[in-house]
Amino acid sequence: MPTLESIKNRLNEKYKKDIAGSETLYGDTQLFLDIRKDVVRPICNDIISEGGRYLVSVGHDDGDRSGTLGLIHTFSFDADHFKVMVKTAAPADNPVFDSITPDIPNAGWSEREYIDLLGMKFTGHPKPKRLILADDWPEGIHPLRKEVPYNLVPPAAEDVAYQLDECPPGCSVVPVGPFHPSLHEPAHFAVFVDGETIKGCDYRGFMTHRGIEKLCTTQVSYNEVPFIAERICGICGSVHATAYSQVVELAAGIKIPRRADFIRTIMLEIERIHSHLLWLGVAGHLIGFDTVFMQAWRVREQVMWLAEKITGNRKTYGMIVIGGVRRDLTPELCDDLLKVVANIEKETMTIHRAIAGDTAVHKRTKGVGALTREQVVNWSLVGPVARARNVDIDARRDHPYAAYDEMKFDVPVVDTMDVWGTVLVRILEIYEAVKIIRQAVEKMPGGPVLYEFHDPIPPMKHAITQVEAPRGEAVHYVITGEENRAERWRVRAPTYPNLQGVPAMLMNNQFADFPIIVGSIDPCFSCTDRVEVVDMRSGKASVIGSGELEKMSRKR
Amino acid sequence: MKILYMIINVLLFLALAPLFEGMIRKIIAKVQSRQGPPLLQPYYDLLKLLGKENMSADGNAAFRLAPMIAFASIVSVIAFVPFGFQEGFLGGYADIITVIYLLTMGGVSVMLGALSSKNTFASMGASREMITMIMVEPVLAMTLIIGALKVKSLGIGASIAGITAGGYGWSVVLMLAVYLMALQAFVARQPFDITEAEIEILEGPFIEYSGPNYALFKYYLMLKQMFYAALFAMVFVPVARTEFYALTVVIQLAIVALVFVLISLLASTNPRLRIDQAVRYYTALIFMALCAVGLSVYGI
Repeated sequence: MPTLESIKNRLNEKYKKDIAGSETLYGDTQLFLDIRKDVVRPICNDIISEGGRYLVSVGHDDGDRSGTLGLIHTFSFDADHFKVMVKTAAPADNPVFDSITPDIPNAGWSEREYIDLLGMKFTGHPKPKRLILADDWPEGIHPLRKEVPYNLVPPAAEDVAYQLDECPPGCSVVPVGPFHPSLHEPAHFAVFVDGETIKGCDYRGFMTHRGIEKLCTTQVSYNEVPFIAERICGICGSVHATAYSQVVELAAGIKIPRRADFIRTIMLEIERIHSHLLWLGVAGHLIGFDTVFMQAWRVREQVMWLAEKITGNRKTYGMIVIGGVRRDLTPELCDDLLKVVANIEKETMTIHRAIAGDTAVHKRTKGVGALTREQVVNWSLVGPVARARNVDIDARRDHPYAAYDEMKFDVPVVDTMDVWGTVLVRILEIYEAVKIIRQAVEKMPGGPVLYEFHDPIPPMKHAITQVEAPRGEAVHYVITGEENRAERWRVRAPTYPNLQGVPAMLMNNQFADFPIIVGSIDPCFSCTDRVEVVDMRSGKASVIGSGELEKMSRKR
Repeated sequence: MKILYMIINVLLFLALAPLFEGMIRKIIAKVQSRQGPPLLQPYYDLLKLLGKENMSADGNAAFRLAPMIAFASIVSVIAFVPFGFQEGFLGGYADIITVIYLLTMGGVSVMLGALSSKNTFASMGASREMITMIMVEPVLAMTLIIGALKVKSLGIGASIAGITAGGYGWSVVLMLAVYLMALQAFVARQPFDITEAEIEILEGPFIEYSGPNYALFKYYLMLKQMFYAALFAMVFVPVARTEFYALTVVIQLAIVALVFVLISLLASTNPRLRIDQAVRYYTALIFMALCAVGLSVYGI
């Protein structure tokens, strides 16, 4: 059993002079290491072999202070309840790092992201292709660099196109997307098929990247970001708002009222029930079983009504802010809440029984999208995708936040290793969410729901937090800054790691199973792309008529 | 009079096929706790499509002709069959081989149109259509062959009436079961809507079609599904025969409606199968159909 201290001591001993500083933060839950960049790869490997799970890398432009670009790899020790951040830096004019992707495949996208956004270079990266920036974005402009203004519109590069991976011999390419009925948001998969059997795929996404992270670190202040964070995703909005608020509270040392913790827990679980039912419906639709789709969404509708009663909105609740929550739960609302969840529990059981006994559903989901436990661990997959493959991780239990430390609940883990397992896990989690809501209502203490803080938040504090979103774990990393806004804020939505595992899940499956395999991770491309749809410059959304749109599209 | 039977046949099918389609949509909607579209929606759809433009990526002749061939072939099949147990004018000029041939022709023209559009999804749909055709047509053929064996004639009216001529023996019961099990595949409904599979290959063979050409394909599919339901009524429910032609037709239409209820319920309670799973299922069906034919040879 590694502990934070033992890891710290072992690494300090082994890499004496290469570790410039090691610091234990936030009550022994986070270890921050400052290392020389030559030893990034061995140290990361050592952390993985100790049992760490790769989370995300955070690149950060520190040019104005130290003339360097910082890179922080983060790891989680789930069974032992702590996290490790490994920071290194390279001069801004020659930012070359060793790639850790050959050993930790999930770091692939993070590193590609900083090739695009910060102009870093990674030696030994197996696929250093463009990931985030549009194909016609000119070379040499890296938007996350501080000297690049947030609203820069450079002239488009001409005659450029994304080069797809080489198609294996004997295969043909089936283009799925950018618009395809099995994808609910724009993304492009080039699926290489031999007859109907999938032999590989290449992914080109980030088509809706709008640069929220840049926006929130240059234009708005701490208090406004929770609402923007909530709009990262239409389904797990509260997750991102909670994660952001939590990480800022952590860095600033703000203690929020206990009642607010409970209300956050309730909102997160309402959202979880909503998301699971929504996904169950979508999964039914993807295997051509629309009755499951319609029935699951009928049940889900009650959650929407409930949310509207509590927050005023069917979705995108706008409840969570730094320091607590915006609205209190009255006793009447609590009664309503309990009634609705009891009803949902009952109706979910009916659907559960129907699906569990339906051999046709088993035919389409069992053995589909199979991965071994080792593959899941190697690819650092999260959420129901991992729990369906016997990987027992859940941030609510492993890294308790809000009021989860007081809640008693099970983390459903199954070992069917396939899409069927994901279906099971997500249905079982609905029951657990109901259980949590009941406990939270019962145990909820009185008192205020918002702590109003007036002291400035100290700059240059690093903090990381995990929140278990319905589709997996969301990670937020923040470096606090001056001028009442974060210096760097990194969001890693659950789709970010899971989407990277999709090619492995697709391998040697039938093309007919493509929709449900991609659907099984519940991909949220907008989370991954971090979209913002409201025009922040004018502060209002403008509506473009169809005639005008036609004119605009003809102009180009 | 015989010409009249034929004309009534064709008009009845043309007029009612969209209605039965609307019925399917309504029943599925009810199972799914939805309101569903109006019963007459398929008529509106057809009218709407007929009033639209034909879009064609590269107007090759095969692409344009395919919907017409499909539509023409299914209409001819309908002209041949003895709905209301009255053989039409053309009955004497064709036999069950012609019927099977014309039905296959519909499938072939779907494939032809799909392949000539050069669309990736369309060609995947075409290859699925081909597999389905090869695996499902034998079941239909063997149904008719049992009748032909019993009456020793390939005549359409004779072999259709001949199946239950000797009462419901084991071979007939088995064949009836096989026919019902193959029904969803005949009409390309879930779990066997594999050729179109909207969510995977975006309506497969029909992806490039629009306007009147697409309307013809849609009409073809509706007619085809009504034909298979009607064939069930003609082949396996001879008790519907009365002395009055009009009454017989009404009873048979009621049976067709019942078959459509069955189709809707099966379609709404099953996910779509994969083509490899479907092929295994079809193989079992063919084997059972062969057994039925074998039994009928021995008069069982």
